Amino acid sequence: MPIEISHIERLAQILSRSGVDAIEIEEPGLTLKLVVDTGNRTAASATLAAADAPVTHRSIIAKADVAGQFLAAHPWQDKPFVSPGQRIEDGAMVGLVKVGLLYAPVVAPAAGTIDAVIAETGAMVGYGTPIARIRELN
Amino acid sequence: MEILSVTGPASIQDLGRFDQYRFGVGTSGAMDEVALRAGNILLGNDENAAAIEIPMMPFKLRFGRDMAFALTGAGVEAEIAGRPIPPWWRSHARAGDVLTIKAMSRGARLYLAVGGGIDVPMILGSRSTQFRGEFGGWHGRPLQAGDTLPCASSTAAIDELGIEPADITLARPDAAADQTIVRVVIAGEYDAFDAATQALFWSGRWKITPQSNRYGYRLQGPDMKPKAPVEKRSHGIVPGVIQIPPNGQPIIQMRDAQTSGGYPKIATVIRADLWRVGQARLGSELRFEQTAYTDALAAEAEMSTYLDRLRTNVRLVEELRACR
Repeated sequence: MPIEISHIERLAQILSRSGVDAIEIEEPGLTLKLVVDTGNRTAASATLAAADAPVTHRSIIAKADVAGQFLAAHPWQDKPFVSPGQRIEDGAMVGLVKVGLLYAPVVAPAAGTIDAVIAETGAMVGYGTPIARIRELN
Repeated sequence: MEILSVTGPASIQDLGRFDQYRFGVGTSGAMDEVALRAGNILLGNDENAAAIEIPMMPFKLRFGRDMAFALTGAGVEAEIAGRPIPPWWRSHARAGDVLTIKAMSRGARLYLAVGGGIDVPMILGSRSTQFRGEFGGWHGRPLQAGDTLPCASSTAAIDELGIEPADITLARPDAAADQTIVRVVIAGEYDAFDAATQALFWSGRWKITPQSNRYGYRLQGPDMKPKAPVEKRSHGIVPGVIQIPPNGQPIIQMRDAQTSGGYPKIATVIRADLWRVGQARLGSELRFEQTAYTDALAAEAEMSTYLDRLRTNVRLVEELRACR
C-alpha cells in the first residue's frame, strides 16, 4: 500500500510536535525517511561491519525497526542485553533504540546463539539496520 | 491477579486523596508520583489509575488473565514467564503468567501498574490505601499472599516499550552515589534556629534511619536545637514539611503523615523533589539545598515537561501504528 501525501504531512506534524528528530518507514517497494532539520545533526547509520567475517553457519540478523540511538545495555544496567555465545529464545531482546524518551526493543527474529552484536552503543541506527547476528540452532 | 508472595508493606496507591484534608484525612497516594504517572502513561491509563507500590523484594504475583502491565520507579530484577523485564517498561502477560521481582538495585519503591488500573472502590475520592484510618486500597491494609485483586477491563494487546527513567532525564548535578540532594524552601520556624545551627542544616549529611516509611523519614545527623524551646499549638502540615522534634533530629513528613503537628518546621521539600525523597533508600544520605520559591516553580515546570514529553512520545507510537 503506497504511503499517501496526507500521511506524510501527518507524520511530519507528529514528529515536530513530539521533539523526535527522524523517522524511517520501510514497506515492500518503498522507503520513507523524514528528518527534522535542527541545524547541526550528525546521523550516521551503522554498517554491517562484521559482514566480511567468514560465516559457516546459517545466520539471522536482528534488525532495528525504528530510527534512533542504539543502546546495547539499559542505562541503569552495566550488563548488555546479550553477549556473544549466549543462547537466546525467539523474541528475546538484544538491545534498545532510544527515540526521544522512548526505548524501543530490538528483538531476535528466531532462537539461536549470539554471534556478534554489530551495532555500537550510541550509534544512530535506522529502520532495518542490522543490530545483532544470531547463529540459528541446527 | 493473585499475590503469591510479598515482603514488607506493599499497598494500592493512586495519586492521592486531596479533598478531605480539612477533616484530618491525609493524602496517602504514591510516594513517587512521577513513576506512578509514567506507568499509567505507558499503558494509556488515566494517570490517577491505582497501582501497587512495592517497597521491598521479593514479590511475586500471578496474572488471572491476559493483561498489559508496566513497571516504573525503582530499578529491579524482574521476570515475566521467565523473560527479563528492563526498568520503566511495559509488557504483556498471559493468563497464568507469574511476575517475579527479585533484587531492588536502585531506588526504594517499585510501581506495578496494569492496563485499566486496579479496580478497588473509590473511598472519599481516592483508591489509595489509608493505613492510619484502615480504609481505601485493598481493605485498608498492606497486601498479603493470597489476595486476589480486581482489575478494570484491560485494553488491547500492546507492544513492549520502555521509557527513560525520570532520574535520568531530571538528573541533578553533584549528587554523590548513595546521596540525594533535595531542594527545600525555608519554613515558618527557620528563624528559631541560630545561624550556626542553620548552617549545620545545610551542610549536614542526613542519614535516612530505619524508622522511615510512608508516614515520614526520621533522619540522623548534626544536633539541631532551636535558640529557645519552641512550643506551638498543632497546626496544619503537608507532606514534605521538615520538622525538628525536641531530640534535634529532623523528620520529613511523607504521604501518610498526619495532617497537623506542633513541632517547629525548619523547611519544606519542594514538590519537584518529593518523589526523589520517596525513592531514597534506607541508610542512604540526604542533603538539603536551599531554593527560592520561583526556582521551586521552575523545577516543577521541568518535571511537568518530562511528563508532557512522555505523553506525546507514547502517543506518537500509537499514532504511528494507526498510520501504517
